[in-house]
Amino acid sequence: MTSDPRAFFTLDLGAATTAAALVGNVQGSWRLLGSLALPATIDREAILQLLLRRVREAAPAEIVAETELPEAAADVGRLVARTTPPPTIAVIAATDARRVSLGTVADRAGWRVRGGSLDRGDRLDLLRTALDPAVEAVLVGAADPPLTDERARLEDLQALADAITERRPNLPVVLAGSVAGSITGSTMGSAGPAIPGPAVPGALVGVPALEAEKPEGGERLFAPAPNTGDPPGSALTAFLLGMRARSDDARQGVARSTSSLAAVTDRHVETLEIGFEAGLRAAAWPAPDEPGGVAILSAESVAAALFPAEADEQTVDAVLAWSTLPIDRTRLRDRLRELRLWPWADAQGDGALLRLASARVAVARLMTVTPAVSAHAAADLVIAAGGVWSAAPGSAVALALADVRRRPGACQMAVDHARLLGPLGTIEDEGERRQLLDDLRDDLLLPIGSVVLAQGVRPGRTGGRVAVRSNGDSTERDLVPGTLEIVDVPPGQLAQAEFEFREPVLVGTRGKRFAIEVSGGLAGLLVDLRDIPLRLPDRAERRRDVLADWQRPLWPGIEP
Amino acid sequence: MTEPPGGTGGSRARRAPGEEEAVGSWFELVAPRTLVDRSPRIRLPLSLGDEVFVAAGDSVQPGLLLAERLRHAHLEEHGRRGQPFGHEKQITVAGHEWFITGGQRHPLESPATGIVRSVDPTAGLAIDVSGNALHGVLAVGGPSRGRLEIATGADGELRPAAVDVGRAGTILVVGSRVAAETLTRARAMGVRGVIVGALSGKDQRDFEASERRQRASVHHLASFAVLVLDGVLRRPISSPVMKLLETLEGSEVAIVGDPPALLFQDPKGRIPEAPPGWVRARSGPMAGREGHWLGPAGQRRFGAAMHLEAGFVRFGEGAPTPVPLADLERLV
Repeated sequence: MTSDPRAFFTLDLGAATTAAALVGNVQGSWRLLGSLALPATIDREAILQLLLRRVREAAPAEIVAETELPEAAADVGRLVARTTPPPTIAVIAATDARRVSLGTVADRAGWRVRGGSLDRGDRLDLLRTALDPAVEAVLVGAADPPLTDERARLEDLQALADAITERRPNLPVVLAGSVAGSITGSTMGSAGPAIPGPAVPGALVGVPALEAEKPEGGERLFAPAPNTGDPPGSALTAFLLGMRARSDDARQGVARSTSSLAAVTDRHVETLEIGFEAGLRAAAWPAPDEPGGVAILSAESVAAALFPAEADEQTVDAVLAWSTLPIDRTRLRDRLRELRLWPWADAQGDGALLRLASARVAVARLMTVTPAVSAHAAADLVIAAGGVWSAAPGSAVALALADVRRRPGACQMAVDHARLLGPLGTIEDEGERRQLLDDLRDDLLLPIGSVVLAQGVRPGRTGGRVAVRSNGDSTERDLVPGTLEIVDVPPGQLAQAEFEFREPVLVGTRGKRFAIEVSGGLAGLLVDLRDIPLRLPDRAERRRDVLADWQRPLWPGIEP
Repeated sequence: MTEPPGGTGGSRARRAPGEEEAVGSWFELVAPRTLVDRSPRIRLPLSLGDEVFVAAGDSVQPGLLLAERLRHAHLEEHGRRGQPFGHEKQITVAGHEWFITGGQRHPLESPATGIVRSVDPTAGLAIDVSGNALHGVLAVGGPSRGRLEIATGADGELRPAAVDVGRAGTILVVGSRVAAETLTRARAMGVRGVIVGALSGKDQRDFEASERRQRASVHHLASFAVLVLDGVLRRPISSPVMKLLETLEGSEVAIVGDPPALLFQDPKGRIPEAPPGWVRARSGPMAGREGHWLGPAGQRRFGAAMHLEAGFVRFGEGAPTPVPLADLERLV
């Protein structure tokens, strides 16, 4: 972006929906003028034209003039980010345990993983797996130094790598750990030249450069061993992330914007992005010693897809556990399969409830597969990104996040409602991106509430009291263990919440009295005294009743 | 953004009987779906060990033997046995010699007329079809060829008892849904395929399991395929698609899996088109209903207090009804 244009579109081309936003320069700062999201199959020019027309009709004439909004969308510049389906990588290892660890590493880097090991399945099965037309890269790996059961099979792994290259010469083959070492030292044969892999800057699992060096077809890439890095595997994850880096990648754009937001807000920011095909968790916090003054951890996972490609038993069970709908397993599976086919459709009524139940499952899986992010301090600001959140009522989103993100402490929650984080993250210049995010931060994040989550409240009639003071008003509530208290604090308003517990509890730190400044949102302040992790009744009917009781006050207008 | 843009006022009024209604503005906001795809490229799967009889550039006709597929293939090291015997193919894997051996070979025949674009034992066989395709969302089994026959109406459901041996060699259009029992009976009666609006997950799993058991037997079975046009939840086949299928009744068609489609040659009559402004609610509470597009309705409140972008649709002679844009489709 340069400072010349007075307005521009952002486009987040998702797998299910296209989100467009119009940003204009009003009195010297960038403001969000309007946004729109429609199914991805609809012509994007029509979407942009409709958005522009609405803004021109609704905005005051002086803003239209100041931002020099033309009549035709084609005359407005665009900042485009797109989400593509995760590429597939075939993982081949000597042992099943190694296949699993390599698969985990590749998953964190945003690859869809399939694979096999010499432990089970013959070589023909492994060859078939690697040579499937859907496979875009092959990862053959072993620890360095190899474990005992790997050492004896390194030669077999080399032979398989050679066989794959012989049959699909254009397929990138990544050799990780001692497999790479043994091939460098012995039989490269006809497999082509060996080159080091793409260089990826970044910390633990950092955000790749906008355009990483891409492997040419047929090249062999030597990658770090799956047991190197801190934590183990992080070096290989960064390597694999670099292999698929694109300058317009929406998901990595979200990660970059998260980092920039942490810098401009001087807060610990965590973004949970749930997409149709995969999810992303990114956490960034001010760190004066790091380049740019911010440290970031991020990881993607296909496991966090909103509607997995195959709704297996575990997925059906998990969605059923969060569903308030009286629906049987067979019917639920069909609904999930239908949403996989038409992910933008049926967004009202039961479909809306089903979406948020699926989103909870996706977030829970994302949290499970990103322990490195969870190991860091809890975030001050949690952002929900992705189409599933921007369509749902904000207060219902706040509850969904509170349900699955069970970390004691206090945080503010917001939704990237216009889906700006992805496109803004494609801006190469960090300074320019920060400036834009600084201008837009009040517009791009929809405040949905704050949550204070206390751990260790003993069961009993009362756990203490909370007083919330704001604008001279004061609201007092009993703290009842196991409940979710909702205190009305409107969006944009700050409040002081003073807690007095009967017993010491954990709210970031351990103590009995806490004074926490909270900011308002559509859901207000959620004082969450429910279990950590959340325990739900086993009986389906009782569980649905409990979930519905929590949901009802936060989803106004929902049918009983 | 709660107000709809202009341009819909005139078309919302009730029209006189018989008067043709104008297509509302912003029709392009309705998700398009291709009715007929001309000259599609299809892909037939191959695997290591399969014997291929065509090469890139070859012309193929329906029924031409393209390849013989090896069942239950596995590798056997050279030298483990004295002499290789039938159905074996020698391959070299990184300097080692192996035999790919397995069970019987099954013929893979061309489902349509076309030109072979590429042959790759790992990526499959790509053919540019000289014909047309009606795309579905899923195909099970196949490829398969047969004479198209309409067995039920667009909203019908075919019961197992309605399938007899008289329908052998046909590809049946069976309406809005079909049960696994009907599919297995149809296969047993020599039917070559089924076209259906929706197939539930349970019926699909049951049929696939039955298909696996049948294919695991020693005998070679005739190919059988199911083409699902819309999805998993029951809804009628849309009227323009049904009209197209009626036009094709009695002619030779084929079902292929990649992409899931029905292949056909140009019918004797003109390929029917959807009427101007025709839209269909593919999902949501009004799934399956067809109407006329009147224009955008802006953001509207729907069930579960969801505010969604909507469009006005006139269903039959009724008043304009707002429907979420995401639930609508038009045919192009």
